[in-house]
Amino acid sequence: MTDKKDHDPHAVTKVTPPGRVVALTGADGFLGRNLIGLLEDDDRVSRIVALDVERPATAGRKTRFYKVDLTQPRVDARLAEIFASEQVDTLLHMAFLSSPTHASAWAHELESVGTLHVLNACRERPVRKFVLWSHTILYGASPRNPNFLPETHPLRGHSESRFLRDKIEAEQVVASFARTSPGTLVTVLRLAPILGPTVKNYLTRYLGRTMVPTVMGFDPLMQFLHEVDALAAFKLAVMRDVPGVFNIVGDGVLPLSTVIQLTGRIGLPIPHPVMYPIARALWTAQLSEAPPTFVDYARWLCVADGDKALNELKFHPAFTTREAVLDYTHSQRMRDARLLRTTP
Amino acid sequence: MARKVLGNDPFGGDNPKPAAPAAKKAAPAKKAAPAPAKKAAPAKKAAPDTAKKPASVEKGAAPAKKPEGVWPAPEAAPVAEAAPVAEAAPVAEAAPVAEAAPPSIASVIAQLDALLDQAKDPAESRPLLDRLASRLRSLVQPEPEPERALAVDAPAAPAVHDEPFDAARELLGSDYYLRRWGQTAIRDRSEEVDDFGLDPDYARRWQPVWDLLYDRWWRVEIEGIENVPATGRVALVANHSGAIPFDGIMLATALRKEHPNARTLRWLAEDFVFHFPFAGAYLNRLGAVRACQENAERLLRKDACLALFPEGVKGIAKPYRERYQLQRFGRGGHIKLAIRTGTPIVPVTIVGAEETHPMLFQSGRLSKMLGLPFVPITPTFPLLGPLGLAGLPARWKIVFGAPIAMDAYRPEQSEDHVLVNRLNEKLRESIQSTLDQLLRARHSVFKG
Repeated sequence: MTDKKDHDPHAVTKVTPPGRVVALTGADGFLGRNLIGLLEDDDRVSRIVALDVERPATAGRKTRFYKVDLTQPRVDARLAEIFASEQVDTLLHMAFLSSPTHASAWAHELESVGTLHVLNACRERPVRKFVLWSHTILYGASPRNPNFLPETHPLRGHSESRFLRDKIEAEQVVASFARTSPGTLVTVLRLAPILGPTVKNYLTRYLGRTMVPTVMGFDPLMQFLHEVDALAAFKLAVMRDVPGVFNIVGDGVLPLSTVIQLTGRIGLPIPHPVMYPIARALWTAQLSEAPPTFVDYARWLCVADGDKALNELKFHPAFTTREAVLDYTHSQRMRDARLLRTTP
Repeated sequence: MARKVLGNDPFGGDNPKPAAPAAKKAAPAKKAAPAPAKKAAPAKKAAPDTAKKPASVEKGAAPAKKPEGVWPAPEAAPVAEAAPVAEAAPVAEAAPVAEAAPPSIASVIAQLDALLDQAKDPAESRPLLDRLASRLRSLVQPEPEPERALAVDAPAAPAVHDEPFDAARELLGSDYYLRRWGQTAIRDRSEEVDDFGLDPDYARRWQPVWDLLYDRWWRVEIEGIENVPATGRVALVANHSGAIPFDGIMLATALRKEHPNARTLRWLAEDFVFHFPFAGAYLNRLGAVRACQENAERLLRKDACLALFPEGVKGIAKPYRERYQLQRFGRGGHIKLAIRTGTPIVPVTIVGAEETHPMLFQSGRLSKMLGLPFVPITPTFPLLGPLGLAGLPARWKIVFGAPIAMDAYRPEQSEDHVLVNRLNEKLRESIQSTLDQLLRARHSVFKG
């Protein structure tokens, strides 16, 4: 509140028409951090409200940070208070984990219940626009999937996977919020797995292994999204008012074996009957980056159709799937040779 | 070309090897990388000195340059206790001294150079050397010999020969062979595939096999290929037959070999092949796509030449006595699709495939165990193993009928069930009548 006096004169002198106030939950995540950096440079945004437990390092002059923990019970009232005092116009809800965790109870509180808190705050003090970060992996990998999953396809992610289930629950409550709150534009961006030079998630760790385990006899087509395109999609969603669900994906597909070849790694094919027990054991021993339910993604298709985002959101990915893999590979090789710091 | 650049260069990605096994062996600390650089610098510095002062070298006052010659000399009294060791491996042992005191090493070397420059005369150099020795002792904890420290200036090259197996060990230790293995596993694959996973390089590699089966084994005869339009979307609707279906691949081979435009055929394969290892991945690379409305529509909207087998599994799972009896044509999904996308349908009749793999009986228990819709027992298949997949050399005939235009219908009419059903039955009857006609005209299964 105190620094409001310092900020407002600047904002008024710089942006003649009053710009938007964009709030981000999970502001210190990869997407949040980089989006704050992008929005800081954008004149159409007058103020950024960063909500997280840690202050993002990219927070600049326009950013105001509030320490908010979505796992706390009374957080919805606090959020509503912040929305009202900051006059939040657009809320980006990105407080999700990018990789599966063993602390699944905490993850459930943060993702599933945390989304409920955020939506309750939005009901109490409506925002004009609500943008949700979601994933195409929620469709679930299956041999019965069409090659390109449309947005209308049901989310059939593995029911045993807490990681997927929490996110599916979050999407469901957001969908019902969109139905019951006509005053708020709700945009859901389902992002393909993100690859890029600086991003870190379960996928970059999986492809960063010397021997990359694959499932023998299966070579699914993979689809990735470059980190720059991921940020561009969120920026588009902030700037354009396009409600709805969108698959945000890179162009083109690559078989998993080709992806591994491009990254200069070696595939280690394991027959699928033993793959699941091995994956379970490694996950229990905390030696692997993803639970055994993720083996499905190395067996079957989970590729989404990005045409709707292209036509309605006008999202043109700058990087194809292949280019995203190559860009990731370049910096991964630098990291391998210890020429690049592992944490960007 | 990215293959060359990325990842497969066996040595390109390695750290620059610190080229000094002696240093590696002796180094107490993990300073392998900086050590050679620091060693190289004084060596270079020493070289011009030698060039500048050839006279002093000849006088024998350059202990650093000729260690073996100088050290055992009687005048080198303080060296006496160190002499045997110094003789054994003067260069190799020098490394720890150089490395043990990394912070002040540059200053010591500078002093050393200065001292050596002064040392014109062996007698004169004595006190200097003593001073240096004490200086180094104070610097280095594990009691180094000053004279050996001097040997730092000598080039360390001969020490490389100490490790004859180093290169071999390096080769085996690197992941070079693993990478070769990784490359071999996908040596015949393209770097890019199309949206539905067709791998052109992989498909080309398998073409000789299909050509052999097409030309020699089944001696496929073609009729009416001109009915397949040269460009634009087209749906080939064919009867599905033979317990192990090769009709998709043979149709693709026929279009590639006989069609004036050599059209690439995509065909829809039953769901169940994608449940299983190898089959789904393999067929996908060759051009098969999982049969579903979304895939078919997307392909046709991209003006593909698409083959459909509306009978599905029912067509291939029927026993031999029901050969050439068309089964139900699904629920007319292919007609709806053609109406919606305005795609002309070319009815295709395939004769001969039933006799290639006559299904004697199905193994119910085995199919339940494997989760397959049926496990065919044919005269050749489980008996002859993989070779039995080629089946019997029955002669094939493929007839492409006149195209049925679907432009007359509006896309909304794809939901008109009566119309769809009628068109579907008409299509089925036309293929059945062509089948009957061809069977009547055929004299022998194997000679045609």
